Amino acid sequence: MKLKIKQKNMKKFLLMSLFLLSALLHEAMAQNRTVTGRVIDATNNDGLPGVTILVKGTQVGTATDATGNYSINVPEGGTTLVFSFVGYTTTERAIGNSTTLNIALGTDARQLSEVVVTALGVERTRNSLPYAATQVEGADVTKARNPNFLNSLSGKVAGVNIKQNNTLGGSTNVVIRGTKSLYGNNQALFVVDGVPISNNNTNTTNQTAGRGGYDYGNVGADVNPDDIASVTVLKGAAATALYGSRASNGVIMITTKKGRKGSVGVTINTGATMGVVDKSTFLKYQDQYGAGYGAYYGPDEDAYFNQRDMNGDGTTDLVVPFTEDASYGGAFDPNLMVYQWNSLDPTSPTYRQATPWVAAQNDPSYFLKKAVGTNNSIIVDGGNESGTFKLGYTNTHDTGILPNSEINKNMVNFAGSLNLTPKLTTSASINFTKTDGLGRYGTGYSSFNPMQQFRQWFQTNVDLKEQEEAYFRNRENITWNTRSATDIRPIYSDNPYWVRYENYQNDERYHYFGNIVASYKFTDWFDIMGRVTLDSYDQLQEERNAIGSTGTSSYSRFNITGRESNYDLIANFNKNITEDFSFKGLLGSNFRRHRINSILAQTSGGLVVPRIYSLSNSVNNINPPTETDQRYGVDGYFASATFGFREIAFLDLTGRRDKSSTLPEGNNTYYYPSVAGSFVFSELSKDSPWLSYGKARINYAEVGNDAPVYSIFNVYGKQDQEINSSTRPTVGGFGSIPLYSLPNTRNNLNLKPERTKSVEAGLEMSFLESRFGFEATYYKSNTIDQIIPIQVSTTSGFGATYVNSGEVENKGIELTAFVTPIKTDNFSWTLNANWTRNRNEVLSLAKGTENLVLATYQGGVSSNATIGQPFGTIRGASFVKNTNGEKVIDSDPESARYGLYQTGPSTTVIADPNPDWLGGVSNTVTYKGVSLYFLVDVRQGGQLFNLDTYYGYGTGLYPETAGLNDLGNPSRNPVVENADGTYGANSGGIIFPGVKEDGSPNDIRVANTEGVYGYNQPQEMNVYNASFVKLREASLTYSLPESLLARIKPFKGIDLSLTGRNLWIIKKHVPYADPEDNLGSGNYGLGYMTGSFPTTRNIGFNLRFRF
Amino acid sequence: MKRILLFCIPALVFVTSCKSLDDYDNVNPKAATTVPGTSLVSNAQRVLVNTLNTPDYNINPFRFYVQYWAATTYPDESQFIIATRQINRYFWDPLYRDVLSDLNEGKKLITADPLTTISDPAIKERVRNNQLAAVEVLEVYTWSVLVNTFGDIPYTEALNADNVLPTFDDDVAIYNDLVTRLDKAIGMLDPTAAGLGTGDLYYSGNVASWIKFANAVKLRLGMTLADVDATKAKTMVEAAAPNAFKSNADNAKLTYLSALPNRNQLYESLVQSGRNDFVGASTLIDRLLSTNDPRLNEYFKTVPDTTIYKGGVAGSPNSYGNNSAPGAMLENPTLPGMLLTYSEVEFILAEAVERGFAVEGTATEHYNKAVTASVMEWGGTEVEATAYLAQPAVAYASAPGDFKQKIGTQEWIALYNQPTQAWTEWRRLDAPNLVKPAAAISAIPLRLPYPTTEANLNVTNYKAASAAIGGDEVTTKVFWDKF
Repeated sequence: MKLKIKQKNMKKFLLMSLFLLSALLHEAMAQNRTVTGRVIDATNNDGLPGVTILVKGTQVGTATDATGNYSINVPEGGTTLVFSFVGYTTTERAIGNSTTLNIALGTDARQLSEVVVTALGVERTRNSLPYAATQVEGADVTKARNPNFLNSLSGKVAGVNIKQNNTLGGSTNVVIRGTKSLYGNNQALFVVDGVPISNNNTNTTNQTAGRGGYDYGNVGADVNPDDIASVTVLKGAAATALYGSRASNGVIMITTKKGRKGSVGVTINTGATMGVVDKSTFLKYQDQYGAGYGAYYGPDEDAYFNQRDMNGDGTTDLVVPFTEDASYGGAFDPNLMVYQWNSLDPTSPTYRQATPWVAAQNDPSYFLKKAVGTNNSIIVDGGNESGTFKLGYTNTHDTGILPNSEINKNMVNFAGSLNLTPKLTTSASINFTKTDGLGRYGTGYSSFNPMQQFRQWFQTNVDLKEQEEAYFRNRENITWNTRSATDIRPIYSDNPYWVRYENYQNDERYHYFGNIVASYKFTDWFDIMGRVTLDSYDQLQEERNAIGSTGTSSYSRFNITGRESNYDLIANFNKNITEDFSFKGLLGSNFRRHRINSILAQTSGGLVVPRIYSLSNSVNNINPPTETDQRYGVDGYFASATFGFREIAFLDLTGRRDKSSTLPEGNNTYYYPSVAGSFVFSELSKDSPWLSYGKARINYAEVGNDAPVYSIFNVYGKQDQEINSSTRPTVGGFGSIPLYSLPNTRNNLNLKPERTKSVEAGLEMSFLESRFGFEATYYKSNTIDQIIPIQVSTTSGFGATYVNSGEVENKGIELTAFVTPIKTDNFSWTLNANWTRNRNEVLSLAKGTENLVLATYQGGVSSNATIGQPFGTIRGASFVKNTNGEKVIDSDPESARYGLYQTGPSTTVIADPNPDWLGGVSNTVTYKGVSLYFLVDVRQGGQLFNLDTYYGYGTGLYPETAGLNDLGNPSRNPVVENADGTYGANSGGIIFPGVKEDGSPNDIRVANTEGVYGYNQPQEMNVYNASFVKLREASLTYSLPESLLARIKPFKGIDLSLTGRNLWIIKKHVPYADPEDNLGSGNYGLGYMTGSFPTTRNIGFNLRFRF
Repeated sequence: MKRILLFCIPALVFVTSCKSLDDYDNVNPKAATTVPGTSLVSNAQRVLVNTLNTPDYNINPFRFYVQYWAATTYPDESQFIIATRQINRYFWDPLYRDVLSDLNEGKKLITADPLTTISDPAIKERVRNNQLAAVEVLEVYTWSVLVNTFGDIPYTEALNADNVLPTFDDDVAIYNDLVTRLDKAIGMLDPTAAGLGTGDLYYSGNVASWIKFANAVKLRLGMTLADVDATKAKTMVEAAAPNAFKSNADNAKLTYLSALPNRNQLYESLVQSGRNDFVGASTLIDRLLSTNDPRLNEYFKTVPDTTIYKGGVAGSPNSYGNNSAPGAMLENPTLPGMLLTYSEVEFILAEAVERGFAVEGTATEHYNKAVTASVMEWGGTEVEATAYLAQPAVAYASAPGDFKQKIGTQEWIALYNQPTQAWTEWRRLDAPNLVKPAAAISAIPLRLPYPTTEANLNVTNYKAASAAIGGDEVTTKVFWDKF
């Protein structure tokens, strides 16, 4: 279906509608009797506003006011009133002779009219919905008091894959129904009360690929969880087609709480959480050997220690090899006195003193603190006949597990609505969030991430408490890893306290978003809504490397400003064609405009004055800052029609036309349709005692997507294009000589939109008065003509070129089930479960291309898209296996790798990061005012490559590298092989399990030296199953009973809750780390772990007062 | 009416603030769409020298291969592990994607440049020719480095953005074409007109210098062919010899600046990084010690807290504190990066005499001049050079071995700061005799394998090329490496 709507035509349409309106007003004149009354909620006797009242068999109708009162003129012959309201059972009442008709509506157990907020904020009844849409209530979002509401969706919604990480305030990856775009954005779109908010982050490419940087979080987290009324997850293209281009990844719609009519209410919420490191996610250290890579030191380079006269007594002393960031050194011996790093600093109490050679008393776990968070909010709301308002303020303050880290967030929001006339409604909302970050965790493989030294390159003899004291004595970088015994500047690793207190970053973000809406109801079946929305943020990020640190001292500032405005005009129609056939339609336009501006400036060649962080403190003149200025927009026109037959069958048709500024003229306009149908078969057997609800649904939809901005025309770059230049500053010129270069990526004048085609079918059923039910959905989506900066042979002169090519398929099954085994007045028990299986496959790439390297990582592995494989497979060197599947050992005595695993091709797929399935099970048990809830979150399958163990096993930090061997001797002892092939009494060495090249079991004993457990082996040896089972959330809530509340007058409600998050990792396979921890949101870094942060178990309490 | 007015408010906002889509031209306002062609040439010149001479072992591991240096804590690259860090790719990519691509684009822009500041059309043509010829010389130089490193490479079909699957050309054919192109460029250079101007980072647009450089390149290419095509080598060397460099002042080099980011890569790696990744290898240090080489104290520092020089073991981890680190001169941020030196020219001439090519002078004269030029390049004096050359182990007449060994050994010492060319000359002359380090995973590489990106992205052509050269191995010889 192609639907073309020109703006001109729309104006005509509006004029026509006005005519129709006057005709209708005419009809409304013929009335002769008035009935009044009040409609209340049967459960709590509150007045129900907005209930539709129709005189049966006519078009005459009205609605209840804010307090539930109504008045209707009944035409002659009218005998029955029909009361209907979403979520409640539609009820008919005979009028008889009464002039007053009060009625209590009961909630609808059949879910027929449960209301769901859908695309563009259109409220629809569940039975008319022809696609999967999961609604999560606000109360479920706040149950575990997660400051980031995105994370609190984990395990609750089928089809949604949420990856959170363990940094403070880090970004959360939200992907719905699989990765579709190879290079584009795959994050779900967030829409808050009609305001689209991008969930992108501003992290650098280096950060996302694990090469260092900070995770600045994403703006999607700037929604106050306490302000959320409900979250609707629209998963498929059919559900989101009306949003156009950017909704191909699904939409998470957030509806915030609205002011209540009637009295003024005040809600105060206060809570605190404390997080303690989950020990299973941090490493343990071997405690038998200290600093060094082996016996390489001393005058003859054959000892574990260097020799030097350290105290000036004329005799040489044993000195730790300070430069070495490994623990394959000398065996610990409390009687052995050696000069360690703490003997080098003149202000140290152990200056020029030898100390016993022992494992550190305080290993790096000493460095990790308790995380503390507080949350305080107040919401005032109220309203009357003509309007409502809500004003809220929230403060959250969190400190992390690393020293000197905190994030403070202040959120203010205001929403108000005003009914200027019964027909004209206006509303506006503004949300303002200020986020201040200090000392966010450095991530990835970087000196700013203390986990790099702790997990990969460290000396087990280094005591962290001493490092702490050494730093705080004079606030100097007294590191354990000095250049030499006389030059105590750092060589590879800084003192970790120095890193946290001197090389800290800070950032502030002002994020404001809001809307202005006006809606005019011409008749009860036709209204027009105009809306302007704005999402805007201003951000400053400052990063430092202090004088005295490893690397060149530096200061950089990054200012970024982003604006997105949307202008919507939507006409809604809601008209029953006959009593049996209903029609709902909308016609609309959406004009979207983006402007993103940024400037990144940094010092050059170092800083002059210590601790002054200013561009003017640069040693050299600073290089030209990197500026970006992105402006783009999309104009969309759309229409949708829903035809209904009774409450039984519905047909949905939508069409949208988009014109994008980022595509070349001629290819910049594109159309896409959707068609969907639902069939509520339970309506055919209404009286069935067991079937409460049954619906089948099916749909097909297409969505288009435009190109990244500025990917059409080629320009020259005034910058350094050298490889590995990522860490180097932009080169403006060679002195005063300008340097220009062709860009690395070639743009393409012939790009066309990327398209996603999807089909979906589902079944929803519930039984026994909805005590038990399930929902099952099958979907398949194919994203074709992908716009990808495809990596090309650099012999073409470019490293990459934009093309339309490639197809990615996602298909999967989503299952949701609920059961309420027990439900009495005082006691209830409800169980919810969901299960998702997504299969992703790259079906094709550009012509002649079998594989796309998406990112290359430290450690010789890369992330790839390969035809016939799922997205993001990790490639690296594999084991070599024989036909029996046994690992082959290099058996050539001449080989440098004799006795180690043979290394297969370095481009073998060694890990697939995609999970086999995701699942979640929640339990809620309620007894009177007490409610106990817990959620178990499961990820099954998927693998990751762990750089932490790849290096850390190699440098001998972990206990596995220093145990006993098969002979019962310390494996690090030298191998002593006797002439007859037997081994000496104390022989060390290890035999790796596998077979020799001739197929016989491996019996080659290799020395347990640096690298043999880690980086000297194929990368595949450090691939782990990333499955986990987590007790994600738990809470115990107590609501004070009304009888008690009545006595303490001002309160309408007091809730007290104890909450827990990530309390227990029930099962995992990745040693010493949290398999879920990752580098942040985005396409990269999937299945790659480096500098991983431990999980915190969070326990908190929360108090909520309602007045 | 009032209601309609109210309703119009959002509409008004809509109309006034929403820019028409036609106002978005989708061109990055912060980037240039037209630039001077010479600015791309400047960039190529900078990247070329950086790539060939950087000590960054992620890009250029050749100081390890010829055993100038040994590694301290992390010996992987000195054990010839190439794949893990994709060193071959990071050497290949900048030469193609930055140097050759920018030169190619620069040529297009120069051809289209109206040169509005010059009125005389004839002079215009000569200036343009000088600029194009200089670019051509740089291209020939760069291509020869790629062939010397990899063997068969994409050439005729390369640098065409519309063909991302170029075939690989035979290395001999490429060399032949380079010779033709170089001769043509030499013919185009006209010292009476201006050249690239101040954008020329090597010679500031001095065309006479470019003529010498072009001839020096010709000399080098000719001698590289000597073992496989003596006739061609003879013709080229004889034609180029009189016109090549005459002194160190003619050297093709990039003089770095004292300020970031245009400091010598050595400075960045040895000083700025704060790391101690390298020490001298005993192979070179022992040689320098045994012949009282005047360059020793420039090439290397003494062992910390001592007055002695000691080299580390090539291919093994070494203690920074127990060995000689690279010398203080290398820590000068403005130390020039060399492309081709007078010293090398004289070594080639010495070899030419030995091979019976008709060039002026004797082998000994050229050998002495070459060594003297090198000593002086490193801050030494003629007196020092003479004393050095007087030693029996150094003097051309008495130094051990045949001419290849005599010249090869001294050239190896002289090319200390040109690791890429040093590796090529070591492979060609097979001197000095370098022993494979015990811990190395392979023999000393005779070429770099093709980057895995080529194997992945240009599969068919990669496979064909690998077969054509006799296997994509480090032990496969480049065509001119006959012995």
